[in-house]
Amino acid sequence: MIFVAVGTQFPFDRLIRAVDEWAAQHALTGMAQIASGEYLPQTLQWERFMTTAVFNQHVQNADLIISHAGMGNIITALEHRKPIIVMNRQHALGEHRNDHQLDGLAWMGQLPGVYTATTQDELYALLARQHTLQAAPLDNDSRRQTLVDFIDQAIRA
Amino acid sequence: MSVKPTLLAISSPGGHWIQLNRLSVGLEERYRVVYAMPAGLFTSTSLGEREPTRKVYSVVDVSADDKWRLIPCALQVLYILLKERPKAILSTGAAPGAVAIWLGSFLGIRTIWVDSIANVKQISRAGKLAQKRADVFLTQWEQLSDGQAIQYKGAVL
Repeated sequence: MIFVAVGTQFPFDRLIRAVDEWAAQHALTGMAQIASGEYLPQTLQWERFMTTAVFNQHVQNADLIISHAGMGNIITALEHRKPIIVMNRQHALGEHRNDHQLDGLAWMGQLPGVYTATTQDELYALLARQHTLQAAPLDNDSRRQTLVDFIDQAIRA
Repeated sequence: MSVKPTLLAISSPGGHWIQLNRLSVGLEERYRVVYAMPAGLFTSTSLGEREPTRKVYSVVDVSADDKWRLIPCALQVLYILLKERPKAILSTGAAPGAVAIWLGSFLGIRTIWVDSIANVKQISRAGKLAQKRADVFLTQWEQLSDGQAIQYKGAVL
């Protein structure tokens, strides 16, 4: 079960189509959140937008999340301890106002549990080994707690 | 009952705001957190609906490239600082946060900058400005820390 989500701001037909076609070829089931996209998935189930509760339920049900390179979806995947593949929107293809999602891949790819693809080929290479993709370890949130505690101490200092 | 000290948490919308919240949520037990953010078209309404119990000031957005908005932004931040008298200022960027760090440092308020997790190769431009005045300057990537002026103490993700 896979869940592909492109955020609420823009469509990302290239990603939705790629995942949908891959699902068809490999007899996979899954859910797609497609925003205002024109491409309607043939194999995956789909919704344009969902409430946070529904969105989280799909994340929970999925073995793997595939997403545009947005911080919100990464956080949700990490919190649900699901591996996530992110692909960047491209300005040249009219998918975003600029190419900051490409810059984003540089740091996102260094997070545990996050895998990055800049092209459909790279995406398919990751999907081909999807059962080896690992979620972030359970103690990953300790990085945040450590930082919060340090800030608390720094304020009191 | 002791009164909680006030903390001003300020950032730009989007990813900076998400990061700021992942820190401030952990601090709300210990501080009265007051927020400030440039609220544009996409954020002003959703903020009010989603966070009715929070105090969120709206400020003029500013970037390092347009110096003229610096003046109204600085005046608004100054007003907030004088009205709320925070013990400390916490920012994850970008330019409006740097403005707050500068003003706060001149008013003797403790200032803490957490450079955005998106800055994996070098400290952000706004961060470099803030670094001149911040009491505590943190990166979220170990490799950018020098152990003294720039410290790594954890990350929001």
